[in-house]
Amino acid sequence: MAVSAARVIAGEWASGKHSRLFPSPAAAITAFSFAIAGLASFCTEADGVLSSRVKIFDRDLKRKHRDRAAWLMGGKNDFVDSVAENLLDRLEDCKKTFSTALCLGGSSEAIRRLIRGRGGIEKLIMMDMSLDMVKHLKNTEQNYVSNNLETLYMVGDEEFLPIKENSLELVVSCLGLHWTNDLPGAMIQCRLALKPDGLFLAAILGGETLKMACTIAQLEREGGISPRMSPLAQVRDAGNLLTRAGFALPGVDVDEYTVRYDSALELIEHLRTMGETNALLQRSNILKRDTALATAAVYESMFAAEDGKIPATFQVIYMTGWKEHPSQQKSKSRGSATISFEDIQNHFRSNEVS
Amino acid sequence: MVRGSRAHAGAISKALLDILVCPVSKQPLRFCQETQSLISDAIGVSFPVVDEIPCLVPRDGKIIEDKEKMTSANGPGSAHHHR
Repeated sequence: MAVSAARVIAGEWASGKHSRLFPSPAAAITAFSFAIAGLASFCTEADGVLSSRVKIFDRDLKRKHRDRAAWLMGGKNDFVDSVAENLLDRLEDCKKTFSTALCLGGSSEAIRRLIRGRGGIEKLIMMDMSLDMVKHLKNTEQNYVSNNLETLYMVGDEEFLPIKENSLELVVSCLGLHWTNDLPGAMIQCRLALKPDGLFLAAILGGETLKMACTIAQLEREGGISPRMSPLAQVRDAGNLLTRAGFALPGVDVDEYTVRYDSALELIEHLRTMGETNALLQRSNILKRDTALATAAVYESMFAAEDGKIPATFQVIYMTGWKEHPSQQKSKSRGSATISFEDIQNHFRSNEVS
Repeated sequence: MVRGSRAHAGAISKALLDILVCPVSKQPLRFCQETQSLISDAIGVSFPVVDEIPCLVPRDGKIIEDKEKMTSANGPGSAHHHR
């Protein structure tokens, strides 16, 4: 049943507007299944340089995704722009100016485009895992010339941050850190790179993102859930992450964005342009063609709104943290209290009486 | 603004060089004119610089297997990198 419905959809794809994206239904199907399953033929070896931590994400595959995303990038991306705006707004809440800033992976393009002098940034370092992405950013630099802003480019891994300690006033990451294997480690390195009273600002995708996508059809057809969605952080974890990394004055808040797509295929395309497709090491390499089509069909039938559009929710967790500095307020150490709770109680009791 | 220029192919902005360190050892790096790469003496690895963009992902690093290690005092000696 689902298969025949899927074939109808495939026919629609060929004749409709999607023909500009894919030359044939076969190509569309292949692209769809690749997008969900990741590159099936790619496999990684254990890397002798890295330590023996548990690796959940295939960073090399993530790099390839970002290479591909660099080529696909072009049009505006409203969801990403809203997240970047939200992040950059927070710079205006501080009186500080941040002369040297590091922009980590994710949607650094949006950050650079939308910065508009906020935060008084003079040097902006753009860092990404993928050379193609960095080259793309460098080549489009002239579109966003700002006389006061010097942009520097480098290729680097958030998990192995090649930045000297105490050298940055600001570290920004817009939708980049949720693909790190060792998020606490990456955040610790960010903190080390910051000068005292430096600011760490990050937006990551939270655990409620795309809750319904794809697992359902998988479950029905192949009788088991394979990890298709990356294990994203929960809101409650975010606060812990900040304190574990040693940040002072941590702040967490959450936003949910509902993006409406014309079809499930567009959702996948969107994820690909953000470089967000599956990079779990545990991904099952064999995704049957029928399953991919069934997934699209099921998703559309279950979640299509009355106007035929497909809504998808992205939960974004915003994290802020400061590098410790004597000027910041701190809670006093234990045992240094000069007033006891009893005193306070008595004070209020006496007020009540009178 | 940083502009690419053939005369300085591979040159990295000083502002960037000042804050870059080896991703694995966090020790300072040294720019080698001859091979247009950043050398981490601490672990004996060289990182490529492509179009003035330093590539400091651990995976991109090449171990310097040469017997004559490059000396920092007098500038680079000849180094042969194995691809």
